[in-house]
Order: sequence, then C-alpha cells, then structure tokens
Amino acid sequence: MSHFLDRLSFFTKAQDTFAGGHGLVTGEDRGWENAYRARWQHDKIVRSTHGVNCTGSCSWKIYVKNGLVTWETQQTDYPRTRDDLPNHEPRGCARGASYSWYLYSANRVKYPMMRGRLLSLWREARRGRDPVDAWASIVESPEKSAEYKSKRGLGGFVRSTWDEVNELIAAANAYTIKRYGPDRIFGFSPIPAMSMVSYAAGSRYLSLIGGNCGSFYDWYCDLPPASPMVWGEQTDVPESADWYNSTFLMMWGSNVPQTRTPDAHFMTEVRYKGTKIAVVCPDYSEASKFADIWLHPKQGTDAALAMAMGHVVLREFHLDGKSEYFDRYVRETTDFPYLVRLDRGADGHYVNGRFLRASDLADGAGQANNPEWKTLAFDEASGNLVVPNGSIGFRWGEQGDLVGKWNLEQKEALSGAELRLRLSVNEIRDEVVPVAFPYFGATHHPHFACTTHDAIQVRNVPAKKIRLADGSEALVATVYDLTLAQYGLDRGLGGGNVASSFDDDVPYTPAWQEKITGVPRAQVIAVARQFADNADRTRGKSMIIIGAAMNHWYHMDMNYRGVINLLMMCGCVGQSGGGWAHYVGQEKLRPQTGWTALAFALDWNRPPRHMNSTSFFYVHSSQWRHEKLGMREILSPLADPAQWQGTQIDYNVRSARMGWLPTAPHFDANPLELTRAAAAAGQAPADYVKAQLLAGDVRFSFEDPDNPVNFPRNLFVWRSNLLGSSGKGHEYFLKYLLGTTHGLQGKDLGEEGGEKPLEVEWREAATGKLDLLVTLDFRMSTTCMYSDIVLPTATWYEKNDLNTSDMHPFIHPLSAAVDPAWEARTDWDIFKGIARTFSEVCKGHLGVEKDLVALPTQHDTPSELAMPEVRDWKKGECDLIPGKTAPSLIVVERDYPSTYKKFTSVGPLLDKLGNGGKGIGWNTQHEVEALASLNYTVLEDGVSQGRPRIDSDIDAAEMIMMLAPETNGHVAVKAWAALSKITGRDHTHLALPKEHEKIRYRDIQAQPRKIISSPTWSGLEDEKVSYNAGYTNVHELIPWRTVTGRQQFYQDHPWMLGFGEAMCAYRPPVDMKTVEPMLGKRGNGNPEIVLNFITPHQKWGIHSTYTDNLLMLTLSRGGPIIWISEIDAKKAGIEDNDWIEAFNVNGAIAARAVVSQRVPEGMSMMYHAQEKITNTPGSEITGTRGGIHNSVTRTVLKPTHMIGGYAQQSYGFNYYGTVGANRDEFIIVRKMAKVDWLDDEAAADAAAGH
Amino acid sequence: MRILKVVSALLCYPQPELIAALPELTEAIAAERALPRREREALLALVDRLERSELLTLQEQYVALFDRGRALSLHLFEHVHGESRERGAAMVELLELYRRAGFELAARELPDYLPLLLEFLSQRPAAEARALLGDAGETLALLGARLAERGSDYHVLFDALGAIAGAPATLAAIRAQAASEGPDPAIVDMDKLWEEEAVTFLAPQQGGGCPSTGAGRAAQPLQRMPRPAPNTPH
Repeated sequence: MSHFLDRLSFFTKAQDTFAGGHGLVTGEDRGWENAYRARWQHDKIVRSTHGVNCTGSCSWKIYVKNGLVTWETQQTDYPRTRDDLPNHEPRGCARGASYSWYLYSANRVKYPMMRGRLLSLWREARRGRDPVDAWASIVESPEKSAEYKSKRGLGGFVRSTWDEVNELIAAANAYTIKRYGPDRIFGFSPIPAMSMVSYAAGSRYLSLIGGNCGSFYDWYCDLPPASPMVWGEQTDVPESADWYNSTFLMMWGSNVPQTRTPDAHFMTEVRYKGTKIAVVCPDYSEASKFADIWLHPKQGTDAALAMAMGHVVLREFHLDGKSEYFDRYVRETTDFPYLVRLDRGADGHYVNGRFLRASDLADGAGQANNPEWKTLAFDEASGNLVVPNGSIGFRWGEQGDLVGKWNLEQKEALSGAELRLRLSVNEIRDEVVPVAFPYFGATHHPHFACTTHDAIQVRNVPAKKIRLADGSEALVATVYDLTLAQYGLDRGLGGGNVASSFDDDVPYTPAWQEKITGVPRAQVIAVARQFADNADRTRGKSMIIIGAAMNHWYHMDMNYRGVINLLMMCGCVGQSGGGWAHYVGQEKLRPQTGWTALAFALDWNRPPRHMNSTSFFYVHSSQWRHEKLGMREILSPLADPAQWQGTQIDYNVRSARMGWLPTAPHFDANPLELTRAAAAAGQAPADYVKAQLLAGDVRFSFEDPDNPVNFPRNLFVWRSNLLGSSGKGHEYFLKYLLGTTHGLQGKDLGEEGGEKPLEVEWREAATGKLDLLVTLDFRMSTTCMYSDIVLPTATWYEKNDLNTSDMHPFIHPLSAAVDPAWEARTDWDIFKGIARTFSEVCKGHLGVEKDLVALPTQHDTPSELAMPEVRDWKKGECDLIPGKTAPSLIVVERDYPSTYKKFTSVGPLLDKLGNGGKGIGWNTQHEVEALASLNYTVLEDGVSQGRPRIDSDIDAAEMIMMLAPETNGHVAVKAWAALSKITGRDHTHLALPKEHEKIRYRDIQAQPRKIISSPTWSGLEDEKVSYNAGYTNVHELIPWRTVTGRQQFYQDHPWMLGFGEAMCAYRPPVDMKTVEPMLGKRGNGNPEIVLNFITPHQKWGIHSTYTDNLLMLTLSRGGPIIWISEIDAKKAGIEDNDWIEAFNVNGAIAARAVVSQRVPEGMSMMYHAQEKITNTPGSEITGTRGGIHNSVTRTVLKPTHMIGGYAQQSYGFNYYGTVGANRDEFIIVRKMAKVDWLDDEAAADAAAGH
Repeated sequence: MRILKVVSALLCYPQPELIAALPELTEAIAAERALPRREREALLALVDRLERSELLTLQEQYVALFDRGRALSLHLFEHVHGESRERGAAMVELLELYRRAGFELAARELPDYLPLLLEFLSQRPAAEARALLGDAGETLALLGARLAERGSDYHVLFDALGAIAGAPATLAAIRAQAASEGPDPAIVDMDKLWEEEAVTFLAPQQGGGCPSTGAGRAAQPLQRMPRPAPNTPH
C-alpha cells in the first residue's frame, strides 16, 4: 500500500518545536507502522514444549497465524510452589526458542521416503504376490537383499505413499514373525518422559505383536548403576527448586548453566542467600565460573578425590565423633551397622564376604520366610544379635505377624523390641584380624598416573565371633568397620596401610590423591570439612549435583559411589536441600504406572519383551568380535583367575542363561514354533524348552550371534537418532548390522588373534543382519540417511502428548498448534496405521498364536530373591528352574489379526489383574469404567467391543492420566494404601488431601499442573517440601529396595566381590588399546598426538537435535568441532579453526579444532552428537565422509552390571543392566593435510545428506 | 502466462501424471512466444530427457537435488530468510497476497514453494508476474547457477524464468559465486554470512531520525532481506 492518497501535496501541517528546540513535531505518514503492528499479531497461542531429552520440560507459547507457526515465547504462568522459593519461570533456552523453524526447514522430512532400490524391488516382487510372500522373495534372495542393504547411507531416496510403506513394513513384520519369531523385531526409542504418548505408540504396537522394546537409559550411559546398587532405585533426584534449599552446593561433573539452562537460576539465586558453590570439573566449564572454589582433577579420577574427601569426613566427623546427627543417620538409614562375614583368604589374611544372613544361624534366627534374605546387626543395649525390620526378606511372602515388617522402624522383627544398632564391633570385639582389600590405584595405564602401593592392602579390622547353624564359628565385622579400613583410617588397631594424618601417603588420604588427581590436598580437606560441617549444622543440606562427566567412564560406579558415600556419611540423602542430584537424561516419567499399561499393552498381554540395549547392540553389531579389554584386567587381585574366565560376551551369556539379563532374540528357535513343538510332544511349553536347553538342542541367541537365525531382522527407530547420536561403535553398526560402507579400521579377533570367547560360537562374520530399518523423524537425521524407510512424523508443535521431567513437579502437554505439515503424521497415527495394515496383511500367515516369552528375574517382584547364591545350571551346579535359576518361560497368546483392535482399545487385563508398579498393585476397575465414559467404548465387533476406546493421541494421554496415581488422587490413595500393607505404616495421609483431584489433558493445556505424591517415587510434592529423593525413606520409614532395606555402602554379591567392588575404590580408566595399532602408521606428514576423548553435552544442541539448526550452528562454528588445549595444539602444530582428524582403530572423524585455555592438557572434547550431515569433509584415513563422535568409540561391558536375581541387583527395564560407557577412549589427533569435501559425490551426497 | 505453469509442473516431484502430460507440455513450450528460442529449446530438451528416463531414477535424482539441504531448496524463503523469524511474517504476507487475488491454498504446502508461486503467477497478468518474479530474481538466478554447477539440466527452468522476468544485474556475480562455493555455503561461510555490521549511531541518516528500512518490506514479500550475500567462497 503506497498511501498515496494519504499524502499531502499542497499543504503542510504546522511544525512546532518543543523542549527548547530539541524536539520536533512532524506530521509525516505513519502507515508503515502497521507492518510492524501486524507482524506481531497472531490468531492463537497454543501451549506446547520440546520433546527432547534435556530434562527442561519448559512450557512454551506457540504463536499461530494463518495456520502457520510463526514463533514461540516462554510461558510464564507456572503455579507458585512454596513460600520463599523463587518462581520457576521463565523456563526455556535459546535452543527451544529456535525450534519453530524446524517445522518448515529444508531439513524437514515431508513425505514417506524409501530407498529407490528397495522400492523397485518391492514393486516388482509385489506383482502377483501377496505382500508377505513378496517380502520373502526379496530377503530370501542374497543378491536382492545385498542390492539394497549396501546402498544404506548412500542416498537414493524416493517419495512413497503411506499405503505403500505401511504395507511393506507390515509384510516385513509378518514375515519375520512367521519365519524367525516375533522376538526378531526390535524397537528403539528413548526417554518416554519427553513425549510419552509418542513413545507408547511404537511400544504398544511392538508389545502387541511380541517385538522387543530396547532400553535407552542404560545404553545412553545416563543410568548410574550405583543408584540401583546403593538404593535399589533406578534414579531419583531432587527437583531443581530444591537447590534453593541447599546451603552447600557442589556441582561435580555437571555443567549446570549449559545443560540445565532453565533450572540454573535456582543455583545462581541461592548464592545470594549465602550458599557456597564448589565445582569439581577438569575443564574451565561454564559451571566453573559460578564456583567459590573450583577443583579440577584430571578427568576420570574423580573417585580418588571423593574417597579422599570421605577419608576426611570419616576421620573428623565419625571416628572423632564430631556429629551426633551423622551418627544417628548412618545407624538408622544405612547398612553401616550390618554384619559382614570375614572369610579366610590366602596368606593368612581374611577377606570380607557376604552379609551375615538369618539363614547362617541356627533355626534361621527364627525366620521361616526368606531367612537367606534377612540381614543382622548387634543391638547396643541388649548386646543381642538381632534381625531388624526392613531387610528385603520381609518384603515378600510374609504371613501373619510378620506382614508389615518391611519398614525402617528401629525394631527387632520378631519381638518388636526397640533397637539401637551397634555401628562397630570394636567395643565388643573378640579379636583384630588382618583383612585384605583390593587396591587398583597401582594399575599401570599409559595415560593416567598410578601409585606404587601394593595391589593388596592388608589392614586390621576388629572382629566378633559368632556361632553358625552348623556349629562352626565365624568372624564378622560391621560395614562401618570395613569402610573405615577401606578408606585407610588408622583406628589404633595396629597394622599397616592406614593413615593417622591426612599427609600420609596411604591410599585414600588427601595426600595420596594428589598424584592421581593433581588437586592440592589442602583444597580437598577444606571442601570436605566445609561440606560435612554444613551438613552437620543443617541436618543434611549439602547437595551434590552430578552429571555425565562422572557417569560415562567404565568405572562410573566408583565415581558415583565415592560421591554417594560422602552424602550418606553426612546424612544428606532424603533431606530437603541435600542429597544426590544426578541429572542425566529425562528419566522421570512421573505418571509411570498409568503409562506402562498403555505403552507395553499390559491391558492385553503380559509380560512384554524388554531388552537391555547395550548388550543387544554390543552383540549384534559384532563389537564383541573386536574386544580387546580382557576381563582379567579388571578382576580383583584377590580373586582366583581360574574361577573367572572368559570375555565380556561370555559373562553376558552366563548372565542371560541364569535369568539375570534378557536376550533378544531369546533362543535360536522361533518361539511360536517352540510352543507348537511342545504341544506336539505333549508337554507344557516351559518343560519342553527346559529339556531342550538342557540337551543343548535349543541355545540362547547370544551363544551364536553370527548364525542367521539369531539376527535381529526388523528395527524401528523413533524419537531417536540412534546412528547419529547414541550408537557407540558407529562404524561397527554400519559394517555388521547394516552391511554398508563403513570406516572401521581394526581387524577382528579371528584375523588378529586374541582371546576368543568360551561360550560363543566363532563363525565367519555376518554383515547386513538387518532386513529392514524404519525410522520416524521430522528431520533428515543421520539415522534417517541409513534407513530403508523414513516416515515423516509430526513435530513437537503438531501433536498432542505429555511431558514430565525430574527437574520440576509439573506435567506438561505437547499440543498440536497446527496440523502436521506436508504428509507428516503423529507417531500415534503412524503406528496405528501400521497396526491396521498389519492386521490385514498377516491374515493367512498368522492367526492366534502361542508365543513363548523368556523373562529374566525382575526387580520389585518376588523373583528378585531368586538367587541368594550364584549357581549355573549349565555347569551342573543346580537344576534349571525357570524363574529361579533361569529365565521364566511364559506363554503369551497373540491374536495377530486383532492387533489393530487391541491397539485402539483398553484391554481387559486391567480389570482382571489390576495395575501397579515398583512392587505394589491395586484394583483399577473404577478407572477403567471412568475411561469408558470419558473416551466412549468400541462399538465394532471383535475382541475390543465394549472396551474403552483409545483412538486419538488425546485418548491415549487420558488413559495415562486416569490410571496414574500422580494425576489421579483416588489412585494415589489406593497406591499408598497398598504400600501401607507391606510396610505396616499408614502412608495414605500423603495423598488424602488431593484424593478428589483428577488431572485431565485439557487441564494441563490450560496451565502446567503439579503432580500428586505417589509411592512410585521416593520424594513428596506438597506445600511444605520440595521434591527430594529418598525423602519418604527417611521420613516415612519406607525401606530402600535393597538387601538390607537401607542405603548400602556395601555390595556383597559374589560378582561384586570378584571384581573388587564390594566397597568403593579408586579405579583408573581402562586401557581400550585402540590407539597403538594406528599411531604413526598412516602418516600424512603432520605430527600426531594422543588425547583422551571426552564427549560432553552440547552447548548449541541437545543431543543430536539442533546440531542441524542453522541458528544454533551459527552461534558455534557451523560444523563438527573438537576442543583441545593450547599445549597440545602447539605440540601438533594445530591452530584454532584448523581442520583436524581424530582417529583410532574404531574409525575416524574430521572436524575443526577449537584451541582453548578451557581444556587441560591431554584431553580433547567433542560435544556429542554433532551430525555428520552438516559441514563434514572427507577423512584421510577412511577415504569416506568423516564420521560422528561415536566413530571413534565402541561399547564395553562390565560384568557387575549383569548381576540378577539378587534384590536391588535384579533386572528391570532401564533399571539395571550393562551401560554404554565411552570416556576411557583415546584418539590420535593431527592436522589434516588436505581438506576434501568429496565434491565428486555431490549428487549422491545431496541425497546422503552430506 | 501459461509458460509459468509449465515451469511449475516441471519443477514438481516427477509423478506418472506429469510424465503422461509431457506431450501437452511440449506443445505449450513450442507455442510459447514469451520465451526466446534458445530457452524454449532447452526446455524441450529437458522434457525429452524426462520422457526417456525411468521414473524411479528421475525421482531419486529429484529427491537428491531438491528434497534435502538448503542449497537447492525450492522454498524461496529458505534462501531469503533462512531460519530467522522474518520467515513467518513473510509467509503470512505471501498467503495474503494469494488471497487478495482470490486464491486459496489447497495443497499441503507452504506458500513460498516455488512451483506453487509459479502456478499462482501463471494466473496473473503478465506484468504483475514479471514484477514479482523480478523481486525473486537473485534467488532464482542463484538456484539456477547452482544447478548448472551440479550438472543438472533442471537449471534450464531457471534460465527460462530469468528470460521472462529479466536477469538480475548481479547475475555474473551470482554465477561466479555458485561456481566457487563448497557443498553448502550457508554453513561453510557461516561466519561471514552472519557477521553483523557494526552499528554506528552517529552515521548520517536521511531525515535525521532512526532508519526505518523495514517499512516498505510488507508490500514486496519476495524482496531479499539485507542478509549479506555469500560472496566469499570457501
């Protein structure tokens, strides 16, 4: 609009001046201002959030104009929580604020895509063939399957249609189930809390057809196994608002301002209240600048620092009796007073063994039920050896008076007598004995300092004699006694290897750690003293915020237990403003028990198939074929190597057959065929399979991973960038799982020699194991590039979903501000569509089938008491008893043609079996009826007729919120009542004030809602306290879910003893041996240096999201970067922004160097998950495009993470299992001689996303 | 201008319907007088290649060129506004432009999708079409030059558009840029592209007040924003 007519041609308005001539009144046309006014107008604002694995869970306003999302701003309407707490808002960071243009960016996946080669094979095969037969004709032909598999990652995509891709996927699934078994179908999707309905869409489909859902928290190495070990809890942490209640905050390996941006304000605000901030971090990170004191130990040596701090605290506050509060806390809530047997070792020494159990004593100490799971202590007043309430034996199977003894009341279980447990047997000792402790700090490592102390440290420990059931005598000491000895404290008991001064060079003193960590002893002493002093005065308000930097090491358990021990010694866990704040991964799906029913189709059949992904990928991407870390390298020096033979995969195979960890696939036979064969043999399926296993006719798949019958055939990836982000051993994935071009440099054990597995068949390596890789995403990620089919999914502003976090107590919606753009669909609609097509396509091939599910022993079920001792049926040490010494073998009926009907309705098992989780259950008939009236019921004929509908994503969200105690007060009261029965204490008062509160989807769209306290979690969300983990254990006397029912300093499983981790110790990083074979052998004329490869969380992205967002890239360097120190840069002749190459036998990366004072010498940092699809040139080593950060890493497994059937050390999905550590890795770094953008491949590259 | 509809159709993802209609397109091109002979013949050669190739191959090539990455995105504002917030307002304005002319968007596409814009312009008076195409001239020329650099004959479509609206004055510079840039200049040259000019508060401004450069933008939705052109190759 020119506004011509508005303009005056013949007149002018009187001009005037004001303000003494400084102001001028003009009369010019102001129509142009409308452009600005209109620019900020909008049609509506919708509440949504970002479903990314960042724990932010921030509420955002999404502005919509003419059906287009135009921008977003932070919401500011969070409910106030408590007096004296700063507001939560505004929450949100630059990453979230730049999200909206993903919707319309060039990188958006707009149509269902399929690789052209596969599509033409499919169309040809489909002519005159039924879909399942068509798929068979492709994958059963080696030429045809090689033809499309070898093109993975090399572009060649074409658009397809939903009908076509759904039919192909359904046919592949049906074929795989029929030919190999449903357990050959695998789905990977992480962190359901970030968009739980979207997760549930895929997992519900997989659970209905019998596919595996892969775990993620452990695979991402976000799971700290120390948490299940110490507390029997996957992870529970304080909300960020509780930082504000703390009076001494440590940020230990957690870069709060960078990775917890919306929460960081609580940390900065509490400094104004006088709270001291200590930061422990090897580099000068963003967090370091908030520190009052910054300790910078050498990376990977944190356990040494933590142990030295523990040494100071034990000396001053415990031994010297400075804190009454600590004394009482450790007596009542930790295993310090519990008795451990001292067994005779070699050379006249003793070694610490198992907890003393009631079953060790005459008549089981009067305990008829589970005496082998009831631990003992001495009572101070009576001097008696007592069985206190609360050990795990009381949790299951009690009858009569002993029901309701699973609590932390300081009482003797049988008599109910009040107890004060004795911390040490020193005052009543019969003798002082030399006990041998393993010491790992002397282990040589090419890049980490070691000390010269003996690998076996003999220290004197007070001991008390007791008489066992068989009449013999045994020695016992308390965990407290052993801990003091392990920390090297001189108690005046004589003997060596203990320190009376902090300056003694004895393991675990502040002086000792200097050589390993480089931190001055005075700083260690000062921080430990202040930390403890603060905790003593405030009753536990010292807190440690901890993160991935600590958890991603092979020996992460030591880092973590070192810190946790410190917190327990100081009485911080379970106290407001105190405790362990591990924020790695958005692990807290608050309405969990409502969600599991939907997500794993527990309403239709149980149990679902769950798989621990770390073991799965380690085995199926054949990383075990290249294993160089021998298990004897990490064995305790006290263990007999003859008893501990084998490689990592051997331990995993043993673990699986003893029913500890799951396997996927289960066996080298189709589970549908196994039930058929059992029927033919006239046997019960479990008996039949047991006989087959014993005869060796059926074997676990992990015993023969290169046998084609054991391949995982179909893989679904959604809400994830498996190959661009979390896939440790990226190049192994490409070579073995996908069968395509890769950059793997190393040779396998067959070519190179080396320790081959004992329990696993060695064959020629199989490649291209996957028949079909389907990825759902809204952007063309690295994983999409390698997929056979890419499905366009709705963005976070185009779907309805739920989102929760551990950082705050609110439940958030994701809302569809606009419809999914182009051909995109929500995850819910996509899997619903696949389910519908599958139900048709499978007809004639699959009907009502009997599937055999092998279920490992499970935490929080009676089977967590399966194995008080380790017995291997294969070695003839015991009978094969499913559910006890082997996995349970359970028949699940699958009505394949009814898959869609089941998918879209709430099944009858909820009415019949109820709902629950974490060891408690309740009737939920009332909620199912309420859902029926809310969502209406199914009218069509079939299995779902009359059942409540779950048609839309909102229906699904309502199901979650109706069933979960956190969003339905009525259920919360039922859940607390159920727990009250087991603990014998009434907990319902925690939810009664909110009994009639029910949160619906539309409520949370109006405003974020605070959840209701539930026994699923160990913290409370009420008007008085901020959410803090362990709060209900300490204040409601609910036991931790461990052997003793207390927090455990001590781990007594034989494998923990064997690998020297009964107690916390410093263990140096392991030697991955990946650098030596390449160093100096592939020279390009530039000097080569060797650096530790650290992969912290991003500044300009969150995992792999945003690293392809131009706005975020602009803030950094626009492509892959690796940070190195100035000193190392000088050595290698590298200048800032030079192109460098990082490589080892695993593969190679091309990136630009950021040379910075921030980084200490010897270390490099590559923010993890920088996509190789943006700005990555070719590698001189591999000759192909430089890889992602995981191109130089691979997975290594730790046997102690495979333990099962042992109270807290029992399998649970994302709760226990092997974890994907990768920070012990080293790389060779050098300047690139020639930067080749591989332009010749331009056309292919455009398609391959480079 | 019917030829704009032809170019629009040829810029779409090749589908069986398009292949079936190729003879009709040939006829329309041959009859088009708004286009110089050289451009006409180039278009006919492209049509000929489409006719002779296997559809699946054409589709793979199309996806490789246009469905991935920014460099050859057919969404014009990708080049004009990138991922900036300006893009939302610009799309809304473009949508308004269509509506004012009596057209409603019926496809699941964004308003700045080039084949869509061309279809709209094909329904408008020639002068208006030329003017709007001229506004987008630099972006179109850059896309054409990049396609030529990649050896794709799709560039003839952009040559044709240039011939209709008149090539931008900076054509030679744009071609030189396309010839020397790396795989994705938006990223390789990011630092330079996004470097902001220093703000000088004391520089002489017309009328003495603050600059109000955005004032006319609303009326010219296809004008390039003042983001510096990527002119320094990697």
